[in-house]
Amino acid sequence: MKKLGVLVAGMLLVSSLATGCGSATPSGAGTVASGIAKDVQAIKDRGVLKVGVKVDVPKFGYKDPQTGKIDGFEIDLARNMAKKILGDPTKLELSAVTAKTRGPLLDSGDVDMDISTFTVTDERKKSYNFSDPYFTDGVGLLVKKEAGYQSLKDLNGKKVGVAQSSTSKQAVQAQAKNLGVQVSFQEFATYPEIKAALDSGRVDAFSVDRSILFGYLDNSTEILPDKFSPQEYGIATKKGNDGLAKLVNDTVNEKKTSGELDKLIKKWGLD
Amino acid sequence: MVGPFAWFKWQALFRDWRVFADGLGHTVLASILALALALALGILFGMMGTTHEKVFRVINRIYVEFIQNTPLVIQVFFLYNGLPHLGLMLPVLSVGVLGVGIYHGAYIAEVVRAGIESVHRGQMEAALSQGFAFRQAMRHIILPQAARVVLPPLTNQAVNLIKNTSVLAMIAGGDLMYHADSWSADNIYYGPAYVTVGLLYLALCFPLARLARYLERKMEVGA
Repeated sequence: MKKLGVLVAGMLLVSSLATGCGSATPSGAGTVASGIAKDVQAIKDRGVLKVGVKVDVPKFGYKDPQTGKIDGFEIDLARNMAKKILGDPTKLELSAVTAKTRGPLLDSGDVDMDISTFTVTDERKKSYNFSDPYFTDGVGLLVKKEAGYQSLKDLNGKKVGVAQSSTSKQAVQAQAKNLGVQVSFQEFATYPEIKAALDSGRVDAFSVDRSILFGYLDNSTEILPDKFSPQEYGIATKKGNDGLAKLVNDTVNEKKTSGELDKLIKKWGLD
Repeated sequence: MVGPFAWFKWQALFRDWRVFADGLGHTVLASILALALALALGILFGMMGTTHEKVFRVINRIYVEFIQNTPLVIQVFFLYNGLPHLGLMLPVLSVGVLGVGIYHGAYIAEVVRAGIESVHRGQMEAALSQGFAFRQAMRHIILPQAARVVLPPLTNQAVNLIKNTSVLAMIAGGDLMYHADSWSADNIYYGPAYVTVGLLYLALCFPLARLARYLERKMEVGA
């Protein structure tokens, strides 16, 4: 009985910590005398910008296993951000993130921002600040050639593998409903796991944003012509770091109007 | 700022409670079936490990050493993605039950072997001299005595087994962990999701752990 009491006390402690964290007063949005937001000043003082990026998405953020170097369209964007904030594109610390870790890493302050094929949704906007989209992509389907599927229509009653950040799940579901076909979903933590499941026949199609799918295309697979439900990628920052959010958003829009963003998209063959 | 445990995230969780209830059901089902398999394998292979037949003891060692010295994650990944390449496509629940059942069967085999060996060999000799066949002696004399010794560690194995069914999350198994991953990746409300799931696992495992303690104490008194 005594032990039960200790247990209950422990749980109460956890829950009070939790609520205490949830109701913290806003901070970081204030500005210091120089007119630079406090949260941006903190990054300047540190002298390095910490960005969460993908390392398993070719052309966006991909770590070359041979050289160990991370490169891609979103890495270039991160360099642009470092240049904007710190005046030097090399003052950059990249952290590998997945759909599962990018939120917690922002919350804990381990990264200042996520540039990680992060699709903007209304629900997610409640938790994080998102910049205006820097890239728009459509959801697509990767299937085995030998299956002979022509489009989503042929996938009636089939299993679709998606990643656990499932804006693609909702997109496929909506499109399937329009076409009057029924599909079921299997969710996996990473893209390579979905590819393994496609290869072994556990799923009949691998669905995610098309530009990501191209990284997994090989001799035995093909990408169906279907392209639906535009996915908008935004740069995510922590709520409360509103000065940083504004700076990031302004920078994205600057690059858009100057045409630099289009150049980068071309450079990586994403147009 | 919005913390990971903001109230609206909890509200979303309560609204979607069915997702977690569904996961809990899967976890309980997989646990029960896997435990039944693990017990059957554990008792069979545990007894093999104590026989005088060398071939049985070798089989016991191969099974136990191979399973105990490779990660469960790899065993399950093989059952899920490897076997289909060999033409065998097991349903995902069977993969979980087989994977976790075989894995814990190896540990239970060791528990059972130790339990049987803890019964004085004189018991077996006496039984055999009284005209019992080996099998009868095992069933009526040795195993009932060993059972008292192995119950507490066996219950601990059951607790570990329940927790290990969370590997199903990796292969889209529809268990509690899978639904927590899936739900919280959608909306990034990971705070309430993982606290709730943690508490649900606690609710499943804690009574069993208590039972183990109780059995242990009862045995000490009896001895």
